Amino acid sequence: MIHFISKRLKHSLVLLFLASVVCFTLVVSAPGNVAVLIAELRGAVAVPGYVAQVAEEIGLNKPLLMRYVDWLGDAVTGDFGISYRTGQAVSADLPQRMMVTGTLIAGSALIATLLSLLLGFLGAFWPYKLPDRVSRGLALIGASTPTFFVGALMIYGFSVTFQLFPSFGFNGPISWVLPWLTVAVLPAAVLSRVVRVGLEEAMTSPYVLTAKSKGLGRTAILFREALPNITPVFINALGTQVGLMTATGIIVEPLFAWQGVGDYFLAGVRFRDFMVVQACLLIFLTFFIVVNLVVDLAVLMTDPRIRRQWS
Amino acid sequence: MHDEPLLNVSNLTVDLLTAKSAIRPVDGVSYTVRQGECLAIVGESGSGKTVMNFAPLGLMPTGVTTSLSGSVRFGGRELIGLPEQEVRKIRGKSIGFIFQDPMSALNPVRRIGRQIAEMAELHLDMTPRAAEARALELVKLVGISDPAARLRQYPHELSGGLRQRIVIATALAGEPKLLIADEPTTALDVTVQAQILRLLKDLQRRLNMAMVLITHDMGVVAGAADNIVVMYAARAAERGPVDKVLVKPRHPYTRGLINAIPKREDPIGSQFRGLPGIPPTLGAPFKGCAFAPRCDFSVPTCTASRPPLVPSADGSVFVACPVVNEGRAAA
Repeated sequence: MIHFISKRLKHSLVLLFLASVVCFTLVVSAPGNVAVLIAELRGAVAVPGYVAQVAEEIGLNKPLLMRYVDWLGDAVTGDFGISYRTGQAVSADLPQRMMVTGTLIAGSALIATLLSLLLGFLGAFWPYKLPDRVSRGLALIGASTPTFFVGALMIYGFSVTFQLFPSFGFNGPISWVLPWLTVAVLPAAVLSRVVRVGLEEAMTSPYVLTAKSKGLGRTAILFREALPNITPVFINALGTQVGLMTATGIIVEPLFAWQGVGDYFLAGVRFRDFMVVQACLLIFLTFFIVVNLVVDLAVLMTDPRIRRQWS
Repeated sequence: MHDEPLLNVSNLTVDLLTAKSAIRPVDGVSYTVRQGECLAIVGESGSGKTVMNFAPLGLMPTGVTTSLSGSVRFGGRELIGLPEQEVRKIRGKSIGFIFQDPMSALNPVRRIGRQIAEMAELHLDMTPRAAEARALELVKLVGISDPAARLRQYPHELSGGLRQRIVIATALAGEPKLLIADEPTTALDVTVQAQILRLLKDLQRRLNMAMVLITHDMGVVAGAADNIVVMYAARAAERGPVDKVLVKPRHPYTRGLINAIPKREDPIGSQFRGLPGIPPTLGAPFKGCAFAPRCDFSVPTCTASRPPLVPSADGSVFVACPVVNEGRAAA
């Protein structure tokens, strides 16, 4: 176990370093000139030589390698530089925004897990019957509706028509419901199929025949025999979905006026605010890597066959 | 003879209906098993020997509609038509099952101890703690070394022979009266096969259980069974005490089977003696004896009508062959 974790941590560090290179390269090779935008912001874009002065001021004239080393050196100490747009330290903005996005992802992941288990088990308990068809239909709709549209529907349905939940803001659980649901729809749909198909496969396996021959009932077989067998598969799929929620957040946070990392990232992109964009990308990537690490550990705990290879 | 046999199957017919096809893997088969007795059911793949034993107990794959007719009486109780809830109480409790492949018959992600103990909890109303103790006892009973450690292990950590012993221990946990073993030695190494068979036979005697041994291995039959039913294409071809059927097979199919066993005096490099032709597919309807197209002795009456399973010259052996029975009538 310890061996596994230390090995994976080493891999993660290498991965994180490579990711930072890609982040930086992507951002600096994006079109647009932030110096012009800053000059515009200060109302001095027409002043001759001012753009060049800004570029000098924010260090755009240094060689790329130097800029990268400077940035990375600061980033590892938690300093992500100064936002070009607001003039504030990025690291000062980040904690609050990470908390917001964390709330979004955690709530949505929980809802997606519960919802997908419910739908998947309904389908597996009554295969090819009405509950299964309903579950399958919902999964199809959920997986094929774009998230921004889901969000708009949520606001229209639960906020405008029935006025159950607020449509924006970050003011306590009641205002979290709609964003949570919006983000959870797609992963819940995808994961419900993972559960349903996994259970069906498990239910036709020889060990389930054995369980039947032991006189166990259907419910006991589903929960005691089949569920532990699909748990590692489910955790893997859930990990992927949770990782992707960072991307969904970019769409959903502005929709509900949440000041999260996704919203920050989007604003950064609009303004060519390299420092913000780089910081957000690095946070997303770190999150992905951590999620993967946690997933691997969870799979290790739930599947004794894999556990043995590492103990 | 005064009391009813533990298992009394008479004229059992099983029809399987899938979305696309309807087949009859078991067609009018009868046999009995008494307490303490071992019945071998022999036949090639697809002859219906497994379905015959699993279908009346509701152990069919989902998605297949099973239709049963005839009668299966277990302990004086009719199983056909019994609601699934009731059949479930019999499974595991009164009838234990052993499967062909111990590699896949155990749940890979659950500890062995739990898999055995849950039987005792379910059928003997034991507390989890008492059930664990019972599991330990059973694991000792099936001759596993270091039993306490085994209970904490997972199936993938054990060899095939050990796993089959675990499957046997599980089957015994509910204190069954009847053990149905579906090719219990087929998936094992040859050296382990003998051990497992000896263990089964020994347990059957010690616990005075009845046993149905489904197999295609004549060696297994000779070593373990009291009676034998030879199945061919969903029907019983021959039925009788093992010592009589194996020594003097009457039905041409049984003869072919026994003749196909390699003998010690066969010269090295000699060909295996097989049966000519291939077995019929179950879907295709046939009139008369299903074996007739492959039979050296067939006469026109063979294909005219289905030969009934009737007593041969030796009243304890039943044969479904007009030629064999005709000869007796003439003699």
